[in-house]
Amino acid sequence: MNEFTEKRERLLSYRRMRKLSSETVYVNSHLRMVLDAGSFCELFADLKTRDPLHFPGYQEKLAAERRKSGAWSGCCVGTGTIGGFPAAVGELSRNFMMGSMGSAEGEKLTRIFETAQEKKLPLILFSASGGARMQEGMFSLMQMAKTSMACRRFQESGGLYISVLCNPTTGGVSASYANLGDIILAEPGALIGFAGPRVIEQTIGEKLPEGFQRAEFQMEHGFVDQVVPMMRMRDTLVRILSLHQPRKPQPLPEEAGRQVPEEKAADAVSAYDRVMAARDVERPRIGDYIDAMFDEFTELSGDRLGAEDPAILGGIGRIGDIPVTVIGHHKGRTLEENVRSRFGMPGPQGFRKALRLMREAEKFHRPVITFVDTPGAYPGKDAEENGQSTAIAESLAQMSTLKTPVLTIVTGEGNSGGALAISAADEIWMLENAVYCVLSPEGFASILWKDSSKAAKASEVMHMTARELVQMGIADRLIPEPEGGIQADFKRGSGLLKTMILQKLQDLLRLQPEELLARRWQRWRHFEGCRAPEDHQE
Amino acid sequence: MFKRILIANRGEIAMRILRCCHEMGIETVLACSKEDLDSLPAQFCTKCICIGPAPAAQSYLNENAILSAAKACRCDAIHPGYGFLSENAHFARMCEENNIVFIGPDSQTIRRMGDKQSARALMQKSGVPVVPGSGGILTDWHEAARIARKVGYPVLLKATAGGGGRGMRAAHNPSELRRAYEDAQAEAQSAFGSGALYLEKLIEHPRHIEVQILGDTRGNIIQLGERDCSMQRRNQKLMEEAPASLLSNFQRTAIRRAALKAARAAHYISAGTVEFVLDQKGKFYFIEMNTRIQVEHPVTEMVTGVDLVREQIRIAAGLPLSLKQSEVRICGHAIECRINAEDPARNFMPAPGEISFVHFPGGNGVRVESAIYPGAQISPYYDSMIAKIIVHAPGRLEAVRKMRAALGELTIEGVKTNISFLYLLMHNGDYLSGRFDTGFLGRQAKAIVRWGEESLKHRQKS
Repeated sequence: MNEFTEKRERLLSYRRMRKLSSETVYVNSHLRMVLDAGSFCELFADLKTRDPLHFPGYQEKLAAERRKSGAWSGCCVGTGTIGGFPAAVGELSRNFMMGSMGSAEGEKLTRIFETAQEKKLPLILFSASGGARMQEGMFSLMQMAKTSMACRRFQESGGLYISVLCNPTTGGVSASYANLGDIILAEPGALIGFAGPRVIEQTIGEKLPEGFQRAEFQMEHGFVDQVVPMMRMRDTLVRILSLHQPRKPQPLPEEAGRQVPEEKAADAVSAYDRVMAARDVERPRIGDYIDAMFDEFTELSGDRLGAEDPAILGGIGRIGDIPVTVIGHHKGRTLEENVRSRFGMPGPQGFRKALRLMREAEKFHRPVITFVDTPGAYPGKDAEENGQSTAIAESLAQMSTLKTPVLTIVTGEGNSGGALAISAADEIWMLENAVYCVLSPEGFASILWKDSSKAAKASEVMHMTARELVQMGIADRLIPEPEGGIQADFKRGSGLLKTMILQKLQDLLRLQPEELLARRWQRWRHFEGCRAPEDHQE
Repeated sequence: MFKRILIANRGEIAMRILRCCHEMGIETVLACSKEDLDSLPAQFCTKCICIGPAPAAQSYLNENAILSAAKACRCDAIHPGYGFLSENAHFARMCEENNIVFIGPDSQTIRRMGDKQSARALMQKSGVPVVPGSGGILTDWHEAARIARKVGYPVLLKATAGGGGRGMRAAHNPSELRRAYEDAQAEAQSAFGSGALYLEKLIEHPRHIEVQILGDTRGNIIQLGERDCSMQRRNQKLMEEAPASLLSNFQRTAIRRAALKAARAAHYISAGTVEFVLDQKGKFYFIEMNTRIQVEHPVTEMVTGVDLVREQIRIAAGLPLSLKQSEVRICGHAIECRINAEDPARNFMPAPGEISFVHFPGGNGVRVESAIYPGAQISPYYDSMIAKIIVHAPGRLEAVRKMRAALGELTIEGVKTNISFLYLLMHNGDYLSGRFDTGFLGRQAKAIVRWGEESLKHRQKS
């Protein structure tokens, strides 16, 4: 402290204030970061609220916000291109009255939904908002319903709606259009929720844990597909848009095609060795198949009902030139990974997530490829409490009506309902060393013979190897593996698998949805397993 | 040359004259009030004489006391500085009668230029543009309406005896004129005992431009460029610049020529200033002539390199000007800020007190004119200006930046000052882009003060 201290502090505070006031804010700062330079064409720019309640002080507040941001409302919408893909875009920005949704904002959002529907463009909306605008009372509450309805009309017309939740997305915005995206992305650490944390704390009288209502929290609870840092946002959006572009049918290159290797004659490997091979920790996991066969894979997560299951991995990718949805059991290699993904044993949230992704695939006419590798559905308390059985049953039933090709590949062990729930497909393929059965051989032995050590014997009698199942018509095709399993020459193995999948998808995609569904029904209808009396008489 | 000069002033201008005299080898006698015996000039003058108690009327305006002091100390001349007796024709006349040189023009010139109506008439006759108006006292409102129609609305009705805004009314259209005339007349009658009014065209959003003049006893008259003094608050200038960057070259030449014409018409001797208003269309009109050294004279000194006080003394001693018009070169840009002991937050109320700490800025192109020191008393009896900071740089923006740095460094503790206000003004967008007129501070001062207060909320302890 000396005579200059006061002066110094004063000058520093002036400098700080100058810096603060020299910062021009934009209501389209996120759009600027993702759109192609110069492509943005703003629409409805001069819509502004007519202050329906003549709220005292509101006009002055609006004028001050306008001075700061140069905008008439907190919402900026228009059309542009991202990575060359045309899109309708919009942003509700916290830089204008904390992004609160008043009638002007609601109207702009509704109009951009309509514009996107009319022009058949995908729509990307960035939202950062405190909620409904208090100064406009019920008029702003009504915007919640209006935007949600506009959103649903757009989605039912087949439009893709990507919602990006920025910090914060709360109140009336999070409880309306913002959480209705076909794909929901979130900024890291963004506060997302309906009631603000302060309100919750005051109401329940408890301190909320760290990270409560943050983007990562929402992802763990199944409401957000991906948490994407702003610096990767553009790439992610480009990828998603590219995967949703309408596909131009291309003929399959012939020479790559029809060279499916002949199946080898029956070998001497015992059934239990197959089980062991299928359970080998070195055996490729779903991630390896995705890396080897699919481009531009974008993981999507959450069942949108309250949970996310790491035991099921899902997302969109491209195989050859066909965008597909990939879903499969997620087994780890290390103990840690396995604890996280519960050894690839899905709970009800996993099946619900898989089903949600399949519905999404159906909407955008994307084939679904599922990879089966699970010890079974998760036998746990919370799984039962959440309706494990219902989730599996629902999955089986709904998959039968999925108006898009579904192909299942059993890569490891497939046990029981946990495997079946995502394999009610048009075709089931099995790797040579994969096994697929009603129960694990150990469980089978302990139920039938009260001795789980007789698993080797059980596996013989259960007829669970790929070869036997193909012979019985349960599985449709066997994918041969070299000695030492597919991991011995994974590049060749996966290349072969990729070729086979491409061929099959080409065939299946030629079918009309009705025909596809009819064939799928016939495939499953055919599993009688019993004999009618008239057959006896023959 | 003079042997001894009596300085009949105080504060920074007394210091300014004192320093100049000592440079020239002239002894100084400071005539000061009892209040100022501890002031800085009183410490450095050759001799100090107390001429009366603190109130100016009994000391610095006490003609007899000052004259007797000058005589008692056998001074050859009296320098009145600015304010006080500097434009007092009677005092100049007394000096002339007592054979003491009054450093300034002769009493006749002071008298003629001091009366606005006669100065205006003289200028009009000499072809210097004056604000169009009645040129004399109006007989009734019909005449006012007739003249107003001729000069164009809006017009201003002023009481001849008026001042300080009283007895003054504006009329923006003919329908307002009668009312304005009657109101102004009634007010003037009650305030000054005379209802005599004259009419002038009202210049809206005027800029205040003035030209520095020097004239010697041999009839040489030169001008030293113009100053822009539009930054005013209640007719008190706060900041001055030279040259006026607003003017085009054409306007600049014209206004300087007009100033020379005015000075010649007045047969002007010594340093003086011709003041003009510039309207929004860029037309300028003579308003008055100041027959003294001015507060803002350093900005002209900085851009011309001419010591105006020295020239004033030389002229008074009968010497010719030390430079010709052709030798006058305007170089760079200078800005002066007046540092006042006042509180901007409380409507710029004067804030007298004791200076507990003072640090002046320095460095290349920074000039400080002040008479304060740690422990100095700021008296409530006199003007609140305690220092002038003048910067000189090649261009206006450089000068502004230099002024920011200087004001950032200038630290005065003990009394409230307008340093921060000026500092913030130096960052004002309208000021920087030259969008200001004499009403600017009236409109913007509050906002600037509020901005400063707002900033302090962001203060962090360093």
